[in-house]
Amino acid sequence: MPQLRDSRDTGAEHGHAGAEHAHDFARIFGVETEYGVAVTESDRPVDPGQVAMTMFRPVVSRSRSTNTYLVNGSRLYLDVGSHPEYATAEAVRPMDALAQDLAGERVMRRLALQAQESLHEGYGQRARIHLFKNNVDSAGHSFGCHENYLLRRQVPLSAIEHELVPFLVTRQLFTGAGRFTADPTVEDGFEISQRAEFLDDAVSSSTTRSRPMVNTRDEPHADSDLFRRLHVIVGDSNRSQTATWMKMAITHLVLCVIEEAWRKDAVSECASMTLADPSEAIRAVSRDRTGTAPVTLADGSTTNALAMQRRYHDIVSGFIDRHADAMAAILPDYEQAMALWSQALDAIESGDWRRLASWVDWAAKLQLIQAMRRRDPNLSDARIRQIDFDYHDIVNGTIFPRLERGGFIRTMVDEAHIEQAVEQPPADTRAALRGRFVREALRTDAHWSCDWTHVSLIGPVKLEAEMLDPFDPRPDDAYDAVLDTLRSL
Amino acid sequence: MPQEQRSAQSSDLTQQETDQQDVTRQEGDFAEQASSLDSLLDDIESTLETNAEEYVSSFVQKGGE
Repeated sequence: MPQLRDSRDTGAEHGHAGAEHAHDFARIFGVETEYGVAVTESDRPVDPGQVAMTMFRPVVSRSRSTNTYLVNGSRLYLDVGSHPEYATAEAVRPMDALAQDLAGERVMRRLALQAQESLHEGYGQRARIHLFKNNVDSAGHSFGCHENYLLRRQVPLSAIEHELVPFLVTRQLFTGAGRFTADPTVEDGFEISQRAEFLDDAVSSSTTRSRPMVNTRDEPHADSDLFRRLHVIVGDSNRSQTATWMKMAITHLVLCVIEEAWRKDAVSECASMTLADPSEAIRAVSRDRTGTAPVTLADGSTTNALAMQRRYHDIVSGFIDRHADAMAAILPDYEQAMALWSQALDAIESGDWRRLASWVDWAAKLQLIQAMRRRDPNLSDARIRQIDFDYHDIVNGTIFPRLERGGFIRTMVDEAHIEQAVEQPPADTRAALRGRFVREALRTDAHWSCDWTHVSLIGPVKLEAEMLDPFDPRPDDAYDAVLDTLRSL
Repeated sequence: MPQEQRSAQSSDLTQQETDQQDVTRQEGDFAEQASSLDSLLDDIESTLETNAEEYVSSFVQKGGE
């Protein structure tokens, strides 16, 4: 008689990959960033799409694919006419994911500079490539920074919609990257979020081709009996390291609260904030830097982003009290995360958002433009938009590095750590296995491939190993056989 | 092993925070650091490409995800 499966069956009894984490709060984190590409100061017209392909030539040629994995276990992706994309290797803590995300900036930057060199011959010595870690181009086309969180399977999609989405809609108070826009309906021409205008439904609707804020995927990134992958589409691309870290750390804590409740088959307290219309709410919040724009809840009552974030903060504080012994394991530096969260809400509530300019991207950007306007009241809209883009340019941008160097924006990871993350995968996830495989494979002429769950030798020998548990960095016999074979080539 | 890594990372963070506190600069409001702000704005203005319209209009791509 086949076992009937219900959502409470964690499968832990059946020895499934990752079973040791079915009942705790361990999580796998990932960030996938699509970059915008532009070329300026060229002697003649050039197609950015072509430039992107040129950028990736050194990587594509050695892996024979537009989808290629690096020695640090991360993934580079480029398709014709697409945005170059970097997806971080699996990490078990936000700090490691942050280091990997910064490693991605370095990798992308190096590829772009190499391509820029090769452009000089045909397009002039002044030609410059720009890679924008942001979410909108000058014509209003949007692209994403997606977060991935491993989620326990007991949590239904409806819980994500009702309990997490209200948090995602309002977290832009501290995660928003800010956007100067020519849209005449936006007061002051400034929004706190890059992405708010471009998100439609909370979750995927099969009837529309809209862009949802979040979806879940039952992919074999881990044993699908225990976990699924939560894919958050609504986030902005952040430059501020602290904002990137906070985005993941606080979302993780809210997910812990939701998982804790659903382990007992109950909704969490977060359900009290279910929104009437997430798409309307996210736009209202984005256009207001006081956090007080009215937001309607599903029960018909009215609240605002500040009150909602305060409520989430209180709920998470309750979770922390219940799990005091385990908090260091759940989120190292959780005290710093909670303090920064309060600080952000306090600053916005008192109208003092400028105090956040050291770690909240929208505040840093707006503060800068206001300072420039004071110096030059005739600052043009084009100049403002140029500054907005330059802030996100990881290749030739001057503003953001200058802000970091001058101590105006705080950092969390030093250069040595970032360099290490370029070369090394996290040692405590299956990324360690993938990174080691790629490093060995690159030393040979072998034909190889890999994806998130497999490493494969294709030629001269056919051999493969599977890695279903993202938490497990330990090689098994099949993996050892693949590596041994590689080393013998 | 993971335990050692965690404590190594925590102490790195503490070191960074100490380093940052050593930097004689207050966080937050740029206006409190008037002279360093002026030099920041000078630097930025001098390095931005002069043709802002061209710079902005060069960044157009089809949308992504």
